[in-house]
Amino acid sequence: MLKKTAIEKISQLAAVLMEKGTLLAPVKEVAGHNFAEINDPQKVDLNFYNTIISPKGAFFPPKEDFIKYKIGKTITEAEQIKVDSKPVFLFGVRPCDVKSFSIMDIHFNAAGIIDPYWSQRRKATTIFGYAYDLNQPVDAADFYNSLGIYAADPEGSDIFMVKKDKDLLLKGITPKGEELLAQLNTLVDAGKDDEKYYEETLKKGKEYKTRFLCIDQDVIAKKLEAVFNNNDFWTKVSSACLSCGACTFVCPNCYCFDICDDTIFGKGTRRRVWDACMFTDFTLEASGHNPRTQVYQRLRQKINHKYSYHVKKYGVISCVGCGRCTRSCPVNIDIYSIVEEALKL
Amino acid sequence: MTDFKKIEENLKKEAKRLLESGEVTVVLAYGKGFDEKHPMPFAAKSVADVDNIVFNEYCNYNMARYLVRYPQGTKIAIAVKAADSRAVIQLIQEEKIKKENLVLLGIPVIGMKNPKTDEVIDSKTTCGMHNPVLYDVLLGEEVHGQKIVSPYDVLAEYEAMDKDARWQFWKDQFDKCIRCYACRKACPMCYCDPCFIDQNKPKWADKAPQSPGNIMYHLTRFHHLAGRCIDCGECSRACPVDIPLYLFHKKVAKECEEMFNQVSGMSIEDKPVLVNFRVEDSDKILE
Amino acid sequence: MDFEPKILGIACNWCTYTGADLAGTTRLQYPQNVRVVRVMCSSRINPSFIFRALQLGADGVLVGGCHPGDCHYNTGNLYARRRLATTKKILEFAGIEPGRFRVEWISASEGNRFAEVVEEFTTQVKNLGPQTKLKIQE
Repeated sequence: MLKKTAIEKISQLAAVLMEKGTLLAPVKEVAGHNFAEINDPQKVDLNFYNTIISPKGAFFPPKEDFIKYKIGKTITEAEQIKVDSKPVFLFGVRPCDVKSFSIMDIHFNAAGIIDPYWSQRRKATTIFGYAYDLNQPVDAADFYNSLGIYAADPEGSDIFMVKKDKDLLLKGITPKGEELLAQLNTLVDAGKDDEKYYEETLKKGKEYKTRFLCIDQDVIAKKLEAVFNNNDFWTKVSSACLSCGACTFVCPNCYCFDICDDTIFGKGTRRRVWDACMFTDFTLEASGHNPRTQVYQRLRQKINHKYSYHVKKYGVISCVGCGRCTRSCPVNIDIYSIVEEALKL
Repeated sequence: MTDFKKIEENLKKEAKRLLESGEVTVVLAYGKGFDEKHPMPFAAKSVADVDNIVFNEYCNYNMARYLVRYPQGTKIAIAVKAADSRAVIQLIQEEKIKKENLVLLGIPVIGMKNPKTDEVIDSKTTCGMHNPVLYDVLLGEEVHGQKIVSPYDVLAEYEAMDKDARWQFWKDQFDKCIRCYACRKACPMCYCDPCFIDQNKPKWADKAPQSPGNIMYHLTRFHHLAGRCIDCGECSRACPVDIPLYLFHKKVAKECEEMFNQVSGMSIEDKPVLVNFRVEDSDKILE
Repeated sequence: MDFEPKILGIACNWCTYTGADLAGTTRLQYPQNVRVVRVMCSSRINPSFIFRALQLGADGVLVGGCHPGDCHYNTGNLYARRRLATTKKILEFAGIEPGRFRVEWISASEGNRFAEVVEEFTTQVKNLGPQTKLKIQE
């Protein structure tokens, strides 16, 4: 089923979705667009390339409260915080980011290790994928083609959206998406030419070229393992690295976190917050020993984790090539170039 | 306008000479990034590395940030623009580095651009100076005859705000913070290890990116940089969520200048204002 | 009900704290809103103390030290003067009422002065009302 709506009338669609549940959509901020909970349907803005911070926060928020507790003289009271299982609509996610959710599922939603917070949110969420605008130039930092993702891949989305001039075409991909689409009465049925356009866009998406590294993931994994001890190489590529957490915090695939207790005057919260392998104290042990004190060690860990260890353990690269880390890096370190250089060694 | 190509040539020539003669072991300059618009900070350690050096209008990094990474006594040559040279002076004042171990390659420049916005970087977000304050070799023509604009002009709008509106403005800004610490890592003057925010005992603020901790982190960081901030604007450019940190730093710098009559990073002989005092300081400053 | 502010007083061991003692032994009456913490010198005060106190629910912070030139450690309060002046400017630009923070030089013999300052400052903070901007909301 293919439906359509004018992009001008996107706020009407947003209003309908807001009635049904929580709507997370791109909003224009000073620096660029970001996903945010929508309170005012006018704020939804689809005129973006990609958001600064990835949409992983919809399932894995920057801070997640687990337990609220009170420490008394004799008894400690604790209360678990439940996840709100209201339906969530994640609107306007680019294909590479949609792919990242399935990679993150390995860690939070796979057999054996199910994170209740992640999986409940994942179940309650309908993902509206959104193809890149094929008429716009590719950002130089992107390289999702190298990871086998193309600009108009509907895979993983519940509903996939394609922009056609001033219209937005919506196609149900999963049964969940189809069902929702049938309920949205602000949409109109698309015509024959729209359907043709939709199919063509999916095909043309393959020709929308980003940077491309035509190499098998196992080759990359082996190569990175082989150069692990090449300190000169790692020192060279990390010489500019400031060791801040910008790259990991904007990454759709970084999932490291820290659990901390914050107690003030006997009342406190246990919560999970994002952490980054680029911080010095990330690996600091209670004994005072720190196995990764140098910047090059931390950068090496980050790249190896994504491109080597993850491949060996789970069979997939933990990167979708969205280019966010490169765009957000204060000193323009480019993970793609580093891998490319490692392969040349 | 600045002749960027000429500076690049001079930078390469000078770097080659210094490395060949063994006068220095590292040249801190700018190198090629993944494309023209995104050069990277670069440490040339051998003559072969020199080819990688570039200089264009997007090379806005403050290389002084990397000085404290090298062990004391390392002979370093560093490319400095106006604000960068002030950072070097400030670091010398704080005895983190010694002048005799440094060769300053001064770059007078006008018209640097922010690659994110393509806006020209001027006195709105930085100190607005064009010529390095301290240098051993000058790599281009000094810039003169430009209209002098006070770097504090941009503050007027915020100073005129009602205090509640100003509080709301800053609270909204700090609420955006994701605590990636790019600001402190990009800052040439932030070299504490560990940073107060990473301490567990005492624990100054929670680790979660939420209002109280963010405010504590930023206010204290502004305080730690009082009289030391050299207004290079790196913190704001590094910020992935574009918090205008430079505004607060400028305000603190302005107040320090008015109270203590000293501008940060202008002379090696000065002492940072907050580790110094004058008996005749007035009690008026406390009012 | 009248608003009774919570005020954190940080007093230097050699002058203000002894001055406060004197105010007590001479049985001077002054408001009980100030909770005094003793530090060895006013220059021991980390500006983060002030931010943290305001976050944890103080409505005002009063710092007391020796008169400039009288510091037990010769120069401590001269450093403190510069530092705390900067703190005040930072609070002001962040949008917090500067009247919530005060630095006063009170010597060991000035029990009267201590009582006066506390009286004045308490009234001032009372007029400003509860401090809600920095206070951590539960």
